[in-house]
Amino acid sequence: MPFHMTARRMGCRVTKAVALSVVVALTVAVGALTVASGTSAAGGAHVARTISLSETGHLHLTSHKGFTLNEQGTTGGTIDGTIYIHLHVVSTDRVTAEVNIYPTGSSITGSASGSYRSSGALATFDGTMSVIHGSGAYAHANGSGLRFTGTIARANDAVTVHVSGSFRT
Amino acid sequence: MTARAFGIGALTCVLLALVPAGAVAVAERASLQASFSPDRLATPTTISFSFELSTLAGTAPAPLTRIDLRMPAGLNYTTTTLGLALCNPEALVAHGLSGCPANSRLGYGDAAVEVPFGSGAGHEIPEIQAVAGPSKSGNMEVLFYAKGLYPVLAQLAFTGEVLPDSGLFGSQLATSVPLIASVPGGPDVSITRVSTTIGPRHLTYYKRVHGRRVAFTPRGVAVPARCPRGGFPFAASFAFLDGTEASATTTVPCPSRRDG
Repeated sequence: MPFHMTARRMGCRVTKAVALSVVVALTVAVGALTVASGTSAAGGAHVARTISLSETGHLHLTSHKGFTLNEQGTTGGTIDGTIYIHLHVVSTDRVTAEVNIYPTGSSITGSASGSYRSSGALATFDGTMSVIHGSGAYAHANGSGLRFTGTIARANDAVTVHVSGSFRT
Repeated sequence: MTARAFGIGALTCVLLALVPAGAVAVAERASLQASFSPDRLATPTTISFSFELSTLAGTAPAPLTRIDLRMPAGLNYTTTTLGLALCNPEALVAHGLSGCPANSRLGYGDAAVEVPFGSGAGHEIPEIQAVAGPSKSGNMEVLFYAKGLYPVLAQLAFTGEVLPDSGLFGSQLATSVPLIASVPGGPDVSITRVSTTIGPRHLTYYKRVHGRRVAFTPRGVAVPARCPRGGFPFAASFAFLDGTEASATTTVPCPSRRDG
């Protein structure tokens, strides 16, 4: 019995040691994964990651000045947050846009341009967007060639926008 | 062939070569007028324009085949609600304006035409309608329509396309004008004058608010925010069936500081 008792205690110790090792190993592994997929908790070296974005935003007109429609709304998809677009109608067939998305505690800024056509109740735009800036979880965000499409309801200038493609942080 | 006959033939060829190709056609002249109402900077407006065509001799010109109306840079189409609906061209021809949604109306005007067998006094076409048409190439389209009255029995229906422009001009309304037979199988009429508007003046649109149909006045294209020195330039070029061309320019004076 003492032997068994000792052996049982020893086994228990071994089990605890193994369990501790597993916990440590898992902790290290999780920590490593965290670093690999973003910025380390200690604010150390930035590790790039690629984000595949597919967003749909619904915005309403807040103001307009000259050829620029200032729009605000919400976006969902890969990233949820508030979205602002300054849509500048350059000519009868071209638009440019500044796009700002604000997920909680972060931001992504993009610059877009594309064709524009107005026909009946809807005007449509279709072009590309570059991600030029980010902060928080999207610090160092950059990328180009994202698809930027959408519609403007001409009766009230409400905008629906779709952004898709990849960018790096 | 004798030497004398050869000489006459050669001389004829030389003389013919010296005659300009278009000299057989009578030169046309054009005049253009334009205005904004209201005439205030950066304010939605109704654009009125009209042109008159004749030969230098003062007679009716050859049938018109094309008009390009160039409009000043800075005209703002961004927030206009004109043309919220589109009119099907076939429905327009078949049923006139009643075949089109009210929210497709862009403007209205009148015109005058001359028929080859007429008295020379011209014939008024009291009502021209401008409506928004479906886009074929991504550009805004304007359908012009008028129902002919005796002795011009044909309908006038032609399509203008709003194209981007450059320099002093921001856009142009490029319009192909089909030949209009005065009577079925008869000679083509000559357009001598057209006046029309593009804008909300006297237009009523409708929208649904809580299930009710509510009338409203659409918002027009906005006058540019800045007036260039000398005023807002308009220009038009005209092409005629006989191969001749004419052009005309005009400016809308800058609004006074008090008005603008």
